[in-house]
Amino acid sequence: MIETRVWHYDGRNANRWQPRLVGDKDRFRLIGEGWEAGPYRWTDLQALDMAGPDRVFGHAHEQGWRIGFAGEVPPELDALLPRQARYGGFIDRIGLGKASVVLACIAAAVIFIGIKAPGRIAPYVPQSWEDELGDAMVGDFGGRYCHTPEGDAALKALAAKMDPQNRARSIEVANIRMVNAIALPGRRIIIFTDLIEKAESPDEVAGVLGHELGHVEHRDTLTALMRQFGLSVILGGVDGSGGAQLNAMLGLTFSREAEHRADMVALDRMKAANISPLGTAQFFNRMDKPLWGDEDKKKAPKTNPKTEEAAKKVEQATNWFGSHPSSQSRYELFANAAQKGHAYQPALSPEQWDALKGMCASDRKVKSGWGFGF
Amino acid sequence: MMEEQVDSAFSFEGSWRDYAPIAFTNLLLTIVTLGFYRFWATTRTRRYLWSRTRFIDDRLEWTGTGKELFFGFLMVILLLFLPLFILQFGAQALAMRGMPGVAGLLGTVSVFAIFYLVGVARFRALRYRLGRTYWHGIRGGSDNDGFGYGWSYVWKNIVGMIPLYLLMPRAMMSLWNERWNQMSFGPHRFHSQGDWHETFKRFLLLYLLPVMAVPIAMIVSSSMMSGQPVMGGIFVMIALAILFVYVGIPLIMLAFYAKFFRVGVGGLSLSTLDFQFSARTKDWLKLFLGDIALVLFTLGIGLIFLQYRHWKFFITHMEATGEIDLDSLTQSDTKMSKHGEGLLDALDVGAF
Repeated sequence: MIETRVWHYDGRNANRWQPRLVGDKDRFRLIGEGWEAGPYRWTDLQALDMAGPDRVFGHAHEQGWRIGFAGEVPPELDALLPRQARYGGFIDRIGLGKASVVLACIAAAVIFIGIKAPGRIAPYVPQSWEDELGDAMVGDFGGRYCHTPEGDAALKALAAKMDPQNRARSIEVANIRMVNAIALPGRRIIIFTDLIEKAESPDEVAGVLGHELGHVEHRDTLTALMRQFGLSVILGGVDGSGGAQLNAMLGLTFSREAEHRADMVALDRMKAANISPLGTAQFFNRMDKPLWGDEDKKKAPKTNPKTEEAAKKVEQATNWFGSHPSSQSRYELFANAAQKGHAYQPALSPEQWDALKGMCASDRKVKSGWGFGF
Repeated sequence: MMEEQVDSAFSFEGSWRDYAPIAFTNLLLTIVTLGFYRFWATTRTRRYLWSRTRFIDDRLEWTGTGKELFFGFLMVILLLFLPLFILQFGAQALAMRGMPGVAGLLGTVSVFAIFYLVGVARFRALRYRLGRTYWHGIRGGSDNDGFGYGWSYVWKNIVGMIPLYLLMPRAMMSLWNERWNQMSFGPHRFHSQGDWHETFKRFLLLYLLPVMAVPIAMIVSSSMMSGQPVMGGIFVMIALAILFVYVGIPLIMLAFYAKFFRVGVGGLSLSTLDFQFSARTKDWLKLFLGDIALVLFTLGIGLIFLQYRHWKFFITHMEATGEIDLDSLTQSDTKMSKHGEGLLDALDVGAF
């Protein structure tokens, strides 16, 4: 038999009642002056977090229903009352310290899987799905591909040498003024016009093309897309603002390992096509230099260092060499791959090289730039 | 009958030392769960803040749960962000194909959709908070789902912007009134009659500021010409421009908002209760400067105390006069939404 005094809100109006609580170990009733309520089960009570010395309980099925115990609660009654939740759920059961360690391990595992899993899954995604995804995303690139009969023939000749098995579905030169080249989903490779302009020989372009072919072969673009999407979901919601998909694609980061494997493919293909890797090595070497070399700095008028810094950052973000890791080690990789005294063939004849270089300038129909506020 | 006798019906009885263990464990758990604990963290914080808030003779009670906030968030991801993501994807694909017109249209549609949903979210967040707030065992709420309010939010804001933003105070106050007039506590409807005219003078200062800046700039530049080198004059002008943009405009906006909130709360009544809000511009300024100092001096850790500071500020400046009849303050029969303020959480806008 339990009997004690409580204060009580019945949840029907705002009056505060002062009934007696009378019950046994299963259930209890509230008895006020001229009224009685219940029976209620102890197991329906919920401990509430209220300030002050009173212990306050709600009822699982009656909104606004409260009872409060002022002062000491007798031990036999205390045993029947539920404990208050603190952090919620299982954290209260196993304790904050243990729960934090367990949760941190799970979090680390989730991130690890988020980074590693796409590389494992990507090879099993049907190629046709990836091709359709790529077509949906890119289409005809807004008519920005450069075409001339001679240029097309030169590009085809280069592709035949570097990609004899036709692994890439299309290789195009786009009229966009960036020193860059990308492998898009759906086995498409785009070389931007400034990269060809900055190259001093067709061998250099062949090296870059070989590298992108490596990404196509290993399905690195799909892996990166999946990873980016997966991580953005894991790390709190899809990025709703989206931003430019293309921006993201340029910024897609492949793992160092993937980059290295792509370089190895480039070297393989060049060896098979009997093209010297030295040109590509030189290209790395040239592009690795600071944009404003010391020589230039002395001659050039003083510019605002902040603008210079910003320009550098933009240049790096949009530059094939800036967005790829450590040109120095890659220079060595390509330079050391060259066999001394071997008679290499140039990747293209001088006429073909000229045609490729002049392709965008001679194509009058091609659209330029981004045209959508890139 | 309970008569209001003390100076303020509201008071805050918490202390940051009591709150600190909650704040720090929330931070810890939020980090190790990659952010997913934040729904439960919000709930713990509110339970603390509400339960340390006294209204007349008893404290408030927060009965919302982390689970319902989490499900609200999941619903938003499914119903809002997935379609928007697909829309964005489509717009990008069209732009790449050189169809910027259609892409632009799709983009505009999604911007309007988000604008509308921000309005709905504001309404529903207020409804959710009132529905989970108990006092003497009685809660608040609203039977309106807020979808109509979303349209008001869109058109009133647009009309407010058209004449060089001059009608924004009117739009804001009208929306404030519209929102509160749909809310209730117990059996009583809130009545909101904020008058935008009272806030308009401060808003006009925004337009006066550039007009005043021109003569000041001329005086400064002419005095510079007479003596000092031109470089110094230019430097002073740049400093003035920075001051104008980063200090002048925010200060006027703060003064406007302080007035707006006073007028808005002052126009609010519930049955026989009238509400007032006492914070003046200098109080708001102190609050925000305090926030900035707290965050800077703790290298960012102070961020976890901002919610506490803001609630304390809100409660200590809230006042109510009138009397409450406890017998007639019966339980609210408004619908209870099952999901928390997921939309608001996702769109990151405030409730008030």
